[in-house]
Amino acid sequence: MKICIFTIGIYEILIYKDKLMSFDLLNSTLATPLLDEKTELDECLATPWKVIVLNDPVNLMNYVVMVFKKVFGYNDTKATKHMKEVHEQGKSVLWVGEREQAENYAYQLQRWRLQTILEKDD
Amino acid sequence: MIEFSLEVECRIIQAVLPEIGKLFALSSKVEDFSDLFPDLDDPELKEAWIEGLMEEAKVDRTALARLLKSPRLPYGRVEVEDDDVDDLLRGLTEIRFTIRKTSLKEVTDEEIETGMSSLSSTKPEVRIGYFAYLLIAEIQERLIEEIS
Repeated sequence: MKICIFTIGIYEILIYKDKLMSFDLLNSTLATPLLDEKTELDECLATPWKVIVLNDPVNLMNYVVMVFKKVFGYNDTKATKHMKEVHEQGKSVLWVGEREQAENYAYQLQRWRLQTILEKDD
Repeated sequence: MIEFSLEVECRIIQAVLPEIGKLFALSSKVEDFSDLFPDLDDPELKEAWIEGLMEEAKVDRTALARLLKSPRLPYGRVEVEDDDVDDLLRGLTEIRFTIRKTSLKEVTDEEIETGMSSLSSTKPEVRIGYFAYLLIAEIQERLIEEIS
């Protein structure tokens, strides 16, 4: 779920579930949809991104656990849970959040040679 | 300094090390970071991303080179400076990827995971590549145990 609010003049603009809504500050009317389509504005706002690690046939299980602990500061239990997801389901979502931080995590994971992709969290 | 002894016969280590040396020389040519960049529409970021990974891989290879040059490695002794551990772990991973893409390119993932039971019938270059792959995995596992 995504909620973003900013102000233009007397209107508060609310973006909720990709719908652009307006909210009149003076009259305190309820928000009404303005646009259904995604806009460029939407892109500018902080869409959450998922950091996903994919399974690979090379990296050792204890290596993957170690990398998750180092990169995300996860404890052994959480890092092992994600490692098992990668191994058994082919992928695991390690983190969701702001794009810049997601890129940072993806870069660090790739530096450790873990196959990592980024996806928008729809 | 982290030190430990490998539980691998010295004659196997000594037979495999020259092959690892050759693969090490290949690593920088085989490894291509350009396909690692996430699917983002940002050419400048892509360039910086790939260059960054390439530069940092050089540091990792230097740590691996130090290990491979160690006079005690042929006798199963691994010695790593504390500051080198992370770089070495990454360098070892890179060379495992290189082996997978070269010596073991015709071998399936399943065969590797189950231990290549048909090893005796494989080509010598595949066999030596597989032993190199295992030796590096052993070093990596032991090193991770030591730092955990």
